[in-house]
Amino acid sequence: MSTPMVRIGAVAHKEFRHLWRDRRLLAIVLALPIMQLLLFSYAISFDVKDIPTVMIDQDRTSMSRHYVSTYTSSGFFEVVGQTSNVNDVDGIFARGEASVAVVVPAGFGEDLAAERKPQVAVLVDGSDPNAARIGSAYATALNATYGQQLTAAWANRQGLDPSSAGVIEPRLRTWYNPDRISSIFLIPGLIVAIIAIVAVQQTAVTLVRERDLGTQEQLMVSPLKSWELMVGKLLPWTLLAFLDIVVIVALGRVVFDLPMRGSLSFLALAAALFVFCSLAMGLIISAIAPSIEVANIVGLMLAFLPSFLLSGLAFPLGSVPTVLNWFSYLFPARHMVTISRGVFLKGAGFAELWPQFGWLCVYAVVAIAIAVVVTKKKARS
Amino acid sequence: MSGKRIRLLMWKEFLQLRRDPLLIRLILLMPVMQLVLFGYVVAADVKNLPTAIVDLDRTSVSRTIGQSFSASDYFKVVAHPASDADLRELIDTGKVAVAVVIEEGTTDRLARGQSAPLGIVVDGSDSSSATAGSGYASQIVASINKQRLTESGMGARLAQAPGLDARVRVLYNPTLASLNTMIPGLVAVILMISLMVVLSQAVVRERESGTLEQMFVTPIQRTEYLIGKVAPYLLLAIAQLMLVAIVGLLWFKVPFHGAPLVALTGVALFMLSAIGLGLLVSLISSTRQQAQQAVLFLMLPFMVLSGFIFPISSMPDAIKPVTYAIPLRYALDVLRGAAVKGAGFADLAVPLLALSGFGIVIFTGAVIATRRKLS
Repeated sequence: MSTPMVRIGAVAHKEFRHLWRDRRLLAIVLALPIMQLLLFSYAISFDVKDIPTVMIDQDRTSMSRHYVSTYTSSGFFEVVGQTSNVNDVDGIFARGEASVAVVVPAGFGEDLAAERKPQVAVLVDGSDPNAARIGSAYATALNATYGQQLTAAWANRQGLDPSSAGVIEPRLRTWYNPDRISSIFLIPGLIVAIIAIVAVQQTAVTLVRERDLGTQEQLMVSPLKSWELMVGKLLPWTLLAFLDIVVIVALGRVVFDLPMRGSLSFLALAAALFVFCSLAMGLIISAIAPSIEVANIVGLMLAFLPSFLLSGLAFPLGSVPTVLNWFSYLFPARHMVTISRGVFLKGAGFAELWPQFGWLCVYAVVAIAIAVVVTKKKARS
Repeated sequence: MSGKRIRLLMWKEFLQLRRDPLLIRLILLMPVMQLVLFGYVVAADVKNLPTAIVDLDRTSVSRTIGQSFSASDYFKVVAHPASDADLRELIDTGKVAVAVVIEEGTTDRLARGQSAPLGIVVDGSDSSSATAGSGYASQIVASINKQRLTESGMGARLAQAPGLDARVRVLYNPTLASLNTMIPGLVAVILMISLMVVLSQAVVRERESGTLEQMFVTPIQRTEYLIGKVAPYLLLAIAQLMLVAIVGLLWFKVPFHGAPLVALTGVALFMLSAIGLGLLVSLISSTRQQAQQAVLFLMLPFMVLSGFIFPISSMPDAIKPVTYAIPLRYALDVLRGAAVKGAGFADLAVPLLALSGFGIVIFTGAVIATRRKLS
């Protein structure tokens, strides 16, 4: 007589051999998290710098040249071209050659020498709102500073002291991630997205595949109980999901200097709960989906998209419409991202994160219960 | 080449699709979901940041400073902790993303004509809120200072001082609504995702279930097979495209400044690349699961490196050259250029040529590979 453990082991062994035979799939599943890590750590930056800028200096005096040089030296703007005609700007923007144009009209130097207020214009291409918002803020600040210097020099000559009015000086402190390195911010969230992809999508598809190929019935007539079959089938993907987590955390710690300020065991516990939620979700999808294509798309819609967009991984959820904000709480990914980031960056533990942890527990219980019910129903029909 | 055989194959594909009604519904539901997610989450402009004000000074001046923060759209004051220690807990639990700390003695220092430090704490574990919050806070502090200077009595004399009359003007999209560029880009992204996801399965499925050989004992030719196979999904993709365009124009009220023909040319050329890539994945993969993972694997770099969400100009110099190898990048240039800037064929010649190049190479590659693989 075989025990449940032996039978589960046999299924898991079979599943592993499937995976091992499908080297390409295995390679992709293992390479995917590494590629994501590299992409998100190296390519994404929330800072905007070196905005391509074209200079239209119609004054051509030493004063206008000095004014123009402040853009280059600020580091935010990169002068990519010069032109003398303002009408060229439309073409330059339309071709995407530059996204900021600075116009210094003739008479700039003369006005300055006569202590008047010369006009300058900064044109910003609004078709990339992120870059445009930051570009116009930098330009405004740069001009304000330049203007203040002029005013201060004048006030000095007049014997006035504007600073005697008392000024407030902002002292900026960025907690947890003082250099605002985007990889440090993104990697804790990426772990969640990767679990969602591997655990939900893969389990959903593997189970439907068995049914599609007709091997499901063969397994049903074996002495396997249906829960043993499920556990055995899910085991390899659970291990792979954990392997992916370990790879990402290790790479993050070693290559990207990701700090680990909280308790690793608390994180591991939460991650395990999240993996169970995801596996249960995969099971539910597989029970409902009639074909691999459907399982695939439902997996994309319920795991891939929400874990990237509704979890707070890269996009803050504070300014989204309230309905959507509430909706995001329906997905365990949102709580897991909060936990992961809290543990890695803030050193938070159960005391701070108990609400999120509690929600994960609730999800795990509910999702597993639903999964058991629907798979039983499916097996009977 | 026989039109009748192609029609028959298309009919078969449609029948197969109809047998899986859930799939069609999902294929049409997916773009709607993407529209909602990208339109409302990714295009959301950061405002109403949960803010705490730590007023250690407790005077009328410090209260005015606090009020200028709560009066702005960007900050939503949710807490008034009494000390720095209480603040730590609020940020640790994520209840607050920005804090303004008004030190004790601020009023005295200001009255003495000294500069008074104002602490602005941002939660760096949320990059975009941190960047936005610190930028907005500096703007508010600058306006408080300006206000103080005007009220100080020196205002009248300083108004005559020389300075700079700088006018910063945003062209094309003066409200800086992210939505106006997000939706035109989304047209290309949705098209790419659905064409690649569906077509990558097309040939593998027949091979996996063994019907591919049956197909080739019929008189159908390779090219006819390809056309009949691709056409139904192309029609579905066009339906999705129209859905996205209609929702974008009517619901999100995204302005379209250019010529529709420019955008359509770009879309058509880009479709060649998307179809070609989908087919290539389908031919290389031996199981549907492999094909599905391969598409996921390709999609991520496309989305991240194309500039769809994160501007290419802020990527490191080592990464920038890689973005030229991504067809989606040029599709975005064309669609955004046409929709937002009203750019025409002449302005968009470079991306359009690049798209045709990619389209021709990838599509003929896929056709050749199909003929080889299937014979």
